[in-house]
Amino acid sequence: MFNQILWWIGNAIEALILARSIKGKLYEKYPAFYFYLSTVLLIELLRFAAYTFQPSLHRLLYWYTEYLVAIIGYGVILEIYKHALKSSHGAGRIARIFLLGLLATVMLKVTANALANPVWSPATTLAELERDLRVVQALLLLVIVALLAYYRVPVGRNLKGIAFGYGLYVCASVMSLAFGSLPAFALRPEWRYVQRIAYLAALFIWGSALWSYQPIPHPEIESEIERNYKILAGHTRRVLSRALSFLKMGGEL
Amino acid sequence: MSQLLPYLFLGLLLSAVLAWWVWDAIVHRRAAEVLAPRQHRSSVRSIGLQRDLGERIFGPEDWDFVSSETTWEIHRMFQHERTVLAIAWLRRTRLQVSQVMRAHLAVAQHSEDLKLATEMRLAMSYLLFLVLCNSLIGWVWLYGPVRTRKIIGQTLQWAAQLRGAFEQLMARVDPASCRVVGANLNHETVRS
Repeated sequence: MFNQILWWIGNAIEALILARSIKGKLYEKYPAFYFYLSTVLLIELLRFAAYTFQPSLHRLLYWYTEYLVAIIGYGVILEIYKHALKSSHGAGRIARIFLLGLLATVMLKVTANALANPVWSPATTLAELERDLRVVQALLLLVIVALLAYYRVPVGRNLKGIAFGYGLYVCASVMSLAFGSLPAFALRPEWRYVQRIAYLAALFIWGSALWSYQPIPHPEIESEIERNYKILAGHTRRVLSRALSFLKMGGEL
Repeated sequence: MSQLLPYLFLGLLLSAVLAWWVWDAIVHRRAAEVLAPRQHRSSVRSIGLQRDLGERIFGPEDWDFVSSETTWEIHRMFQHERTVLAIAWLRRTRLQVSQVMRAHLAVAQHSEDLKLATEMRLAMSYLLFLVLCNSLIGWVWLYGPVRTRKIIGQTLQWAAQLRGAFEQLMARVDPASCRVVGANLNHETVRS
């Protein structure tokens, strides 16, 4: 019953967000996100139909569509990256280095696993496969959000809502799927509620953040000389080393 | 159960970063505009001017005079007031350095030739500065500037003794590599 209530509320909010996007033409600004949301809604309805008319198919359909949703979720992350770091060339450059490093690490791990075990399968259980997909998403989001927070990159209300809501959902998914992959928890459905509640929270965040379009603010840089990174980094380094030397002086008193 | 730890850690780390991001956005909502680079330059100058003040606050001259010429009550009053002053000075220094760092980040994010290594070094220096500054504030608050000065001075003395003992040990165990270690240590000392 509780699950059904969550399910209906979730679908209603999804439909509302999609309706608002049509009214405010937000889907033109964030197409990957709205494609993701539409897919989730369609899949939910498909699952409902399967559960009602062909219950034997439901379990299989559930897991396969879970992967599909997780894979489409990568598009949302790509969209966050593209929009948020569009005008921040420096932060974008660092993000690219980290993301390529992450991609290389994941590929190395997959290759090493395949070589170590010739009959290696992508995952022992279906929950493990989804968990691994979500782990990579969590790492990607971690890099992007950490850079946005560190450099205080100005992102509009819309993008902030998308990133925060999706981050929250991915975070809850990683933790709940980790529990779900344990044999003791796999047969108990309670751990799936965490993911569903987190998704509902994300929907509320998206609903409020994407009510209307808000452009991403672009800060102005005062003069050309301030763009010179070498001069700027030199100044900052001098200030920091001077400040550190004060404290060291304090320590030697 | 232990295989869950990396996933739980990742989940908690992501939620902490998200919380930091949102908190930072709420706190600095009104100051969302980019900090003027002028602030960067003025902070550089004011940090230079503050050095004399810091030397005076932590310096032994005033305390030597007060401890030799006045009563116990004046000692206590002096220590209390000096503690307040020292903490205010440390907080002000921390604020000014933070402003410089913020101004740097606001401009650096747009820079085409931003260097990852330089940014990492700056971030580490800033982190070290914050740790040191906050530790000093804690020490001064707990023990007052006079005792803090003595404790830290003693700690540095022990560190120097330990380093000397380590060098002697290395000289006995491996005389060849000792020269390299010694040279590196000396180089670090010169640089610092």
